[in-house]
Amino acid sequence: MRRLHPFTLLTIAVVLPALAWILPAPRGGAAALSVAALLLLTPGVTPGFGVARTAFLTAAPFWFFLYLLHGVSGMVATGLRLSTMIASFVWLVAILPPARLVEAMVAAGWPVSAAFLFSATLQAVPALRERAQRLVEAQRCRGLATRGGPLVRLHALRALALPLVLSALHDVDERALALETRGLVAGARRTPLAPPPDHWSQRATRWLLLLSCAALLVWRVV
Amino acid sequence: MTAPLALRSVTYRYPASRSPAVRDLTLELRRGEVLGVIGSVGAGASTLLLLAGDLAPRVTGGELTGTVERAGRAALLLPTPWTQLSGMAFTVFDEVAFGPANLGWPRERISASVERALTRVDVPHLRERDPTSLSGGELQRVILAGILAMEPDVLLLDEPTAELDPLAARRIWELIRTLAQDGMAVVVATSDLDALCDTADRIAWLEQGAVRALGATREVLVEPALTADTAPGSTSIAAVWRLAGLPEPPPLTVAQALERLR
Repeated sequence: MRRLHPFTLLTIAVVLPALAWILPAPRGGAAALSVAALLLLTPGVTPGFGVARTAFLTAAPFWFFLYLLHGVSGMVATGLRLSTMIASFVWLVAILPPARLVEAMVAAGWPVSAAFLFSATLQAVPALRERAQRLVEAQRCRGLATRGGPLVRLHALRALALPLVLSALHDVDERALALETRGLVAGARRTPLAPPPDHWSQRATRWLLLLSCAALLVWRVV
Repeated sequence: MTAPLALRSVTYRYPASRSPAVRDLTLELRRGEVLGVIGSVGAGASTLLLLAGDLAPRVTGGELTGTVERAGRAALLLPTPWTQLSGMAFTVFDEVAFGPANLGWPRERISASVERALTRVDVPHLRERDPTSLSGGELQRVILAGILAMEPDVLLLDEPTAELDPLAARRIWELIRTLAQDGMAVVVATSDLDALCDTADRIAWLEQGAVRALGATREVLVEPALTADTAPGSTSIAAVWRLAGLPEPPPLTVAQALERLR
């Protein structure tokens, strides 16, 4: 699965949520989520149960609030769709290194700045999580209690949020300068260092998936 | 011969700042020259590098008066290596190749340039390592290799040895000297005055954004005013010489001190 062309992986991650929303609820959502879950859980295909756990923990609060707002049937219908979106995105982030995606985009003729923007978005979540972890450790060293009841955790969150945002903003400044000086400017035509091979069968599969989505959408609307 | 970098009457103010970070600055850099920039925190050394690298005001914003002339490509190394990672590379080789690839060079040229740069900063053995797994010192050398791989005409260095151990730092200073001998123009902002004695041809001492002194290294670094409270200080040897009450001007290096004492 990891050897698939980045655009193929991206197409799968886009098509699954699209199908979840296009097909009638709840069966359409259940089918799409089943495929997404299969991708997340198939041994040897994904990085393991940790990724599935991340997707589950991200989706769980949505189910709770959907239940409060829409009751059981609404929760199931929308929850399955949202969960498919989350599972597909988490799967994509786990399986597709941003650098590989950028290489594919550059090889396809995309401007390097657009490719980098896409890559940076995929990297933002893990990078912020790592930074938050370091900040939590630093705050603990300075005596801040980060474990306990909801009030204690809320207090810790306050102490974490400001340095997290400020340090991220500071890094953005420096990073912009560093990237500029290393030639990442608007309009640059980057040389792809190792463009991923793209077989005609993968291209055909991608088109087939996208056209199927479009056809199903037309069928649903008409 | 055209100067690779010339600043004429340059005054620059950051956005949302009332006072200029650099004022009425005039400097010309020659090919094959190392210019050391010294000054206390806030003196304007880093801003000077941003101006020279065409990053201020183009990227930072702000207001510039005067002219900055560049003949060729300038590249800047910042003091913090972590924020300079491209985030688009699995290996050190790809990290170093990031800049040359952005310049659109053919792969053969990129490969040759990357290998040369890795060797120059003594990290060819790190070629296949993941950049995020490197120590601060290793990473700083890798980023420097990435800058050198772009074959700049003007190399701008902001505290280039801040993350390095003494041996690695000495090698970087030696490399800077070698690069200058090969014809590159180098501007280095640093608080390591001892290293500048053997590396820099000239020193620009900045104070509150303006040039306080500009001249040959051996002339500027012996200025008694350098040891004032708000000044950047002096070399270790000069400080010991003055503490011992020996006659001015002080020597700057151990070799000079031994020669004077004999």
